[in-house]
Amino acid sequence: MSQQSINAPRPGDDEENASDAVTGGQTFASAQGADDLLDEIDAVLEENAETFVRSFVQKGGE
Amino acid sequence: MRRRVGGLETEFGLVCVRADGTRALEPEAAARELFRPVVAQGRSSNVFLRNAARLYLDVGSHPEYATAECDDWWDLVAQDAAGERILAELVGSANARLAEDGQDARIHLLKNNVDSQGNAFGSHENYLVDRRGEFTRLPRYLLPFLVTRQIVTGAGGVVVDRPLGEPTAPGTPRFVFSRRSDHMWEAVSSATTRTRPIINTRDEPHGDPTRFRRLHVIVGDSTRSEVSTHLRFATTDLVLRLIESGRTLPELALADDIAAIRVVARDLTGAEPLELAAGGTTTALEVQQRWLDLASTVAEPAEQGVLETWQKALDAVRTGDRSWAAQHLDWAIKERLVSQVVERRGVALDDSVIERLDLGYHDIDPSGSVFASLCRRGLAPAVLDEERIAAAVTTAPASTRAHLRGQVVTAALEHGVDHVVDWTTLRLTRSGSAPVQILDPFQTRSDEVDALLARIRGGGAPTPGAV
Repeated sequence: MSQQSINAPRPGDDEENASDAVTGGQTFASAQGADDLLDEIDAVLEENAETFVRSFVQKGGE
Repeated sequence: MRRRVGGLETEFGLVCVRADGTRALEPEAAARELFRPVVAQGRSSNVFLRNAARLYLDVGSHPEYATAECDDWWDLVAQDAAGERILAELVGSANARLAEDGQDARIHLLKNNVDSQGNAFGSHENYLVDRRGEFTRLPRYLLPFLVTRQIVTGAGGVVVDRPLGEPTAPGTPRFVFSRRSDHMWEAVSSATTRTRPIINTRDEPHGDPTRFRRLHVIVGDSTRSEVSTHLRFATTDLVLRLIESGRTLPELALADDIAAIRVVARDLTGAEPLELAAGGTTTALEVQQRWLDLASTVAEPAEQGVLETWQKALDAVRTGDRSWAAQHLDWAIKERLVSQVVERRGVALDDSVIERLDLGYHDIDPSGSVFASLCRRGLAPAVLDEERIAAAVTTAPASTRAHLRGQVVTAALEHGVDHVVDWTTLRLTRSGSAPVQILDPFQTRSDEVDALLARIRGGGAPTPGAV
C-alpha cells in the first residue's frame, strides 16, 4: 500500500502561502483567509438560496 | 484477506436551475442532456470507461459512477476523484450546450445523499470477502463498528427533529455527524430503496461464487474529503481483517442498532451511552477506540498512517479540539463552516441558506463550489497529487482485474470496435467472438484477454454505422 502524507495541502493550490509571506503574520493571514472564503461563499449563498434548495427534488435512488 | 478488493458506487443528485434558482429542466431531461456524449459514444447510458469504472443512470435519474476494483485505498480515492472529474466534465459540456442553445439552465451535480424533500440516494461500499468466512457471524461484530464509524467518516449536516407524528410542528435543528443515519431502517437485509439497511445482503459476488462474496455496506455518507473517503475503506478493511483472523473480538453488539445510529449522529461528544445487547452500555468513542486498538495488531507497517489518522479523528471528538479535524474530515470541516456562516449572517441552523451551503459543499463543480473554495485555501485536504488523479481518469488500477477490463475498453474505443463488458465478462459484439470471463478479481494477466486485444487491434476497422 502506498503512503500519503495527509497533512499537506496540494502544492500550488494554496494561494494563501504567498500572502502569508507578504503580510508576515500567520494569525492575520488565516483570519484573512476565513474572511476571503466567506466573501467568496456569499456569492453562492446569495444566489436565490431558498429557491435553489426547493428546486432540488428528485426521486430516491439506491 | 490480507489483500482485499473494494469499490465505491456513488449516486449523484441532479438539479437543473435557471439563474433565479427555479427549476429549468426536470431531472429526467437534465440527465438525458448530461449523458448525451456518453450515449453518442457507447450507444447506451450504461457504459464501462477506459479506467474500468462503470458510469450509468440509476433509478430516479441519478447519475452513478462505480469505481473499478481497487486493492489499495489511495487508488480507490484516486478512482473516485476521477469519477468526479469525468462527471464534472460532462456537466461543463452540457451547460455549454444549454447556453449555446440560448437556454437559461444550469446543471449542478451534488455528491450528497438526500434532496430537499428527504429522498435518499446512496454511496455504497463493496468489500470482497471469502465465501468460506462465516457471513452470518460477520454482522454481529461489524455492525457496532459501522453504527459508530460516522464520528470519523460522517459528512456532517443539519437535521431538524420534530415531535413524533407532527411533521409541521416547529422543530429543533442540530448539527449531526451524518444525515444518512436517519435513512437507515434495518441492520441487515436485502432491500435498498424501501427499508434501507446498514449492510445489504444481496449476494452478487461479481466473481467466482464458490470462493468470493461481496460485502455491500450502504450506511456511508458520500464524502468529499479524500481523508474521509480513505478512512472509510482503510478502517473497515482493518476491522474485516480482524473478524477474519479468528481472534477474540470485543462483544459490542448493540441492543438496537437503528436507535443507536441516530443517537450517535446527534451526539457530537461521542460519549452518549449506547445499550449493549448483552446488558450494560458503551459509547461511540469506546467502540471506535476498541477496534482501533485491536487493529494495531493486524495493521501492516504501511498502514501506520491509517492508525494515526484514525486516532486523530477520535481525539478530535474526545477532546473537542477540532484544529486538525476541521481541515481534514468532512463533518468537522462542515461544522466549522456552518458555524461561521450562522454567525456571520445571523441565521438559524435550519435556514435555507445553511441548506444551500451544504449543497454547495457537495457540488462537484471544480471551480465554483464551496468545497473547491475550501481546497484552494488549504482548508480541505488535497492529498493525492494532480498527476495521480489525472491518470486515474484514463487508466484502471494496475493490480486487479480492472487492469484487463481497462485495456479492452481503451483498445476497443481507440479502434472503433463494438464491445460489451461488465464486471466479469469481456466480449466483442461481432459474430463469432467468444466472451472472456475473469472470475478472479485479483487476476491481472490473461492469455484470452491478450488474444482479444490482438483481435481488436488487428481486425479493428470500425463496423458500418459505428461511431
